[in-house]
Order: sequence, then structure tokens, then C-alpha cells
Amino acid sequence: MAEEKKKDYEIKVDVKNLNFYYGKQHLLKNVNLFFKKNSVCTLLGPSGCGKSTFLRTLNRMNDYTEGARLTGEVIIDGQNIYGKSVDVVELRRNIGMVFQNPNPFPKSIFENVAFGLRIHGIKNKEFIVERVEKCLKYAGLYDEVKDKLAKPAFSLSGGQQQRLCIARAIATNPSILLMDEPTAYLDPVSTSIILDLITTFKKYYTIIIVSHNIQQAGRISDYSGFFLDGELIEFDEAGNFFLRPKDKRTENFITSRY
Amino acid sequence: MIEEKKTVPDKPASKAGEGGENPEVFPVNRGYIRRKKFYNNLAICFAVIAFIIGGFPVFHIIYKAFEVGSAYLNWNFVSTLPTGFPIGARGGILNAIVGDVYLIVIASVLSIPLGIGSGLYLSLFGRKRSNYFLKLLNELMIGIPSVVWGIVGFFVFSTATGPGFHLGFSSLAGGLTLGFIMVPIITLLTEQAVNQIPASYIEGALAMGATKWQATHSVIIKAAMGGIFTGILLGVMNIIGQTAPLLFTNYYNTGMPTGVTGPGGAVGDLAMLIFIYIHEPSKILHYKAEAASIVLLAFILALDLGLRLINYLTKRFLL
Ligand SMILES: Nc1ncnc2c1ncn2[C@@H]1O[C@H](COP(=O)(O)OP(=O)(O)OP(=O)(O)O)[C@@H](O)[C@H]1O
Ligand SMILES: [Mg+2]
Repeated sequence: MAEEKKKDYEIKVDVKNLNFYYGKQHLLKNVNLFFKKNSVCTLLGPSGCGKSTFLRTLNRMNDYTEGARLTGEVIIDGQNIYGKSVDVVELRRNIGMVFQNPNPFPKSIFENVAFGLRIHGIKNKEFIVERVEKCLKYAGLYDEVKDKLAKPAFSLSGGQQQRLCIARAIATNPSILLMDEPTAYLDPVSTSIILDLITTFKKYYTIIIVSHNIQQAGRISDYSGFFLDGELIEFDEAGNFFLRPKDKRTENFITSRY
Repeated sequence: MIEEKKTVPDKPASKAGEGGENPEVFPVNRGYIRRKKFYNNLAICFAVIAFIIGGFPVFHIIYKAFEVGSAYLNWNFVSTLPTGFPIGARGGILNAIVGDVYLIVIASVLSIPLGIGSGLYLSLFGRKRSNYFLKLLNELMIGIPSVVWGIVGFFVFSTATGPGFHLGFSSLAGGLTLGFIMVPIITLLTEQAVNQIPASYIEGALAMGATKWQATHSVIIKAAMGGIFTGILLGVMNIIGQTAPLLFTNYYNTGMPTGVTGPGGAVGDLAMLIFIYIHEPSKILHYKAEAASIVLLAFILALDLGLRLINYLTKRFLL
């Protein structure tokens, strides 16, 4: 755990004793960590260690997975999201998610970004147009698509689709952004646009990123966590995490000796 | 084992241009390659033969029907009611065309919402175990012989005595019976179409804070549109050729209906017309039955093209 004191008013997401099971598999083992307001946290770990699974527990995307079971608490803004009175729809509006594989809807480029506004009852056309444009600009996609907003999203390249999904995720003005390898399909230029976006956006968002790129993670993160086989091995401020890891396994991983 | 050191170099060539060909052995089985080409050709032969066996009768029937019936195929034939003696010896088949429109509209109004609804339920909302039985039930329903539907339809909709709707022999009774034949077909195709949609679409929508219903109607139905239209088309094509269910619920009307229930509510129908004409001892009626079957084919073709067009347009302009 981080050395410094955990002050309640600074905590956006607090995960306590989280266990996640899929059938007989124990995929997340007693995970404890917290995410501070307006910080960027990267989660690292070898493939298949449960990073995506963990991310999905934060906005209850595992609700629909048959055979999934969860114990423990995820407290967002002081409320356990697995509690009884939680409005999942409102919860998810407040949490933008970018999936590991780009998954635009079978709709036009414009409608993909407008989707989040429409499903929350926004009808004002000018507002929607303005917001879509803004979000596409943030995601560094606007110049490439401004002349073909009515074209289907599938006519875009993989990397463009991923940026479209980022634009879509921030359109509803969430306060938490979950990103599962958001730069996996991107070239260096688009990658640095997204990384800049992330560092700019932490003013308004709490950002949690799964990454396989240790250098990138070191560049943008305030906190970092290392998962191995469903266990959170280490979680600390980025400076300590990358320069003075406490656990041998973390060190091996970030120096790529795994 | 002993060879290993030679076949796998310890380190890759360090400089560009260094090293040679990959020394690892890939054991090519020449015999297998020859055989797999042979099997490939064999499969193509089978496909061609199957096409000929399956296709020839169809083309032959169409050709024969044209040969015999084409003399009657003109505008009059599709725009006038049957007259003369035996009835149909003169005039056309307008009664049957109008009747089919009645039946298809009534059957569709019942079955499209019901079928799509149950298909969506099965693929998105229900529990896994109960759905297994519901799917089985649905498939069983597709297998029910149409004559059974006819008898059920008679007791539920047509009969004038006992419990039931007492609709008489009418287009409403016939159309509803046909509608119930369409429901399981549309259900099955909808369910399959939705299941083929990548889960990531649905997840994407839910993660945005969409309710399940929002995700369904704004993303899923549109993505599954092609499959759903195929289901509707298959359903309509199925009922358009049915006679057995109509025998007990609508039978046949040589004129125009005066309503949709009770006396005068019955309609003509192309399949029934063909069925009845073929059983009459009259050469003219036999020829007209052939001509009517061409009209029926054209009807199905037009429906197919129409639904494809609607599908294309909705995909193009509504997404
Ligand atoms: N729907 C599922 N059904 C069965 N097993 C699953 C499912 N989802 C995840 N798993 C299992 O959970 C484990 C963790 O998967 P997860 O996707 O969280 O890994 P990850 O850390 O994101 O890996 P990667 O870096 O490759 O994306 C894997 O071993 C996988 O087999
Ligand atoms: Mg993953």
C-alpha cells in the first residue's frame, strides 16, 4: 500500500477485500487498493492475470457474466456500488469505459459519440453536435473524420475506432475513466495524443488504465499497481513503484525479466 | 535430440545478412497434399451434383408451369374475379391475390411483434436453463404439421359453438392461425440473429449507462435486422404456400370478402385456388392453376425483393 495517509476526502474509488470468481476459478484474490481523485493509475501485469476482470468489477460489467461471483466492496464516492440501492445505469454514466478491443456500435461515426447523450435523454441538437465535435477533438480524431461523420464507424481503421471509443466514453462527462489498453492499436503520434489527453484530463477525471507498455505507464501515472495471477502484488505511487519496487516480482516485471 | 544443437541455433544471427536458410525441418507429407486436393475436387463435384439434383426439378416445374399456364398470364388474369362455369373457367384470380394480402397482413400483425419479442427474450433476457426448454418448445412448434394448426385454429377461432372466438370461416380466423405458424419461425431467426451479434456491442452500450432495453432497441435490433427480416420472409413464404390450416378456418371465397369475420369474411387464396382448381375435372382450370402458380412464385419473389429493399434502406438510413 501507499505509504502516505489515506485521506477519505481524496479517495474516489476504494476497493476492499475484493474477490472475484468465475465458476471454480478464483480470478481476483483479496484485492485492496484505492484510487485518488484526479489521479492517473496504471495497472500492470502479465497477460491473463486479471487486469481486465478487475477493471470490469469497477463498473459492474460482470453483472451479466453467467457464473460470476464477487465478494468484498467497491466504494465509489462513499457508496458501495454492490450495495442494494445502487442505480447501475447512473453509476455507469459516471464511469466511462474504453474496452480492450475497439467496439464501436454499428452506427455512424457521429451517432457513436452521440449515443451516450441520447440514451440519457439529451435532445438538444446543437448541444449534441457541439459535444460530439469536442469529444472527437479531444480524442484526436476530428480532423480525420470531420468530412465523413455520417459514414459507418466500421469504415474506420482499428486505431481510429479505438479513438472513436475514447471519444464515446468521455461524451457523457463521467468522473471516472476506465481504459483497457487504450493505445494498443495506435501509432506513436496518436498514442501521444491520447497520453496527452490523459494527463490533461486528470484535472477532471479519475483515470484507471490497464497498460502493457511500462514506459508509457511510467510517463503518465501517479499510481501504479502490479497484478499477478489475480493477486495485487504491489500498489504504490509511481515514483516508488517504478524506481524502488518493494517486491522482487514487481521489479522483475518492470525490468522485463519475467 | 542429438541433432538439436545443429537445428536450433543458440543465438539468432546478430548482423543483417548473417546466417543462412532456416535449418529446421518441416516434414512435408506429399501423399497427404495429393489427397487433400483430391478431396477438395470431390467436394466441388458433390456440390455441383447436389445443385443439379436439387435445382433441376425446380426449373423443370417453373418451365412446365410457364409452358402450360403462360397463355393465361395477362393483366386480366390478375385483375378480375373468377366467373363462368365451373367457376374460374372465365375471369382471373383477383379474389386469391386480394385474399393473400388480407391473410399475410393479419398473420404478420400478429406474428412479427410476438416473434421478435420472444426471440429477443430468449437471447437477451431469460435465464439459461428455462430458455433451453423454451427454445426446444419453439423448435417443436416449427415441426407441428400445418393440418394440426388448422384443426386448432378451427376450434379456437372458427367454430360457432363451445368456447372460442366464433369468428367463423374468415380471413381473421385464417390469418391468425397462419400467424401462429409464423411466430416460432420468426422467434428462431431473431434469436439466432441476436446471438450472432458480438457481445461487445451490448457491453459497449451497457457500459455507457444504457438500460437493457435501450441497448436492445438502439443497437441490437438494428444489428440483427438482417436476420429478423429473413425470419419474417421465411415465415411469410411458409404460410403463403399453406392450404391445410385454411381448410378449417377460412376455406375459400370466389368473390371479394365483405368483412374479416363471420359470413362473407372468408377470402380467396392462391394456394387454395391451385389446390381446388387441380381437383376440378376441367382442363381450363388445370391450366389456370399452373398460371396461378407462376403468379404465386412472382408474389414470393416480389416479397423477397421488397423485404431486402426495406432491410437495405433501414440499414442505410436509420443506423
Ligand atoms: N468470460 C470468461 N470466461 C472464462 N474465463 C474468463 C472469462 N473472462 C476472463 N477469464 C479468465 O480470467 C483470467 C483473467 O482474464 P483477464 O481478461 O482479466 O486478463 P488480463 O489481465 O486482462 O489479460 P490481457 O493482458 O491479456 O488482457 C484469464 O485466465 C481468463 O482465462
Ligand atoms: Mg485484458
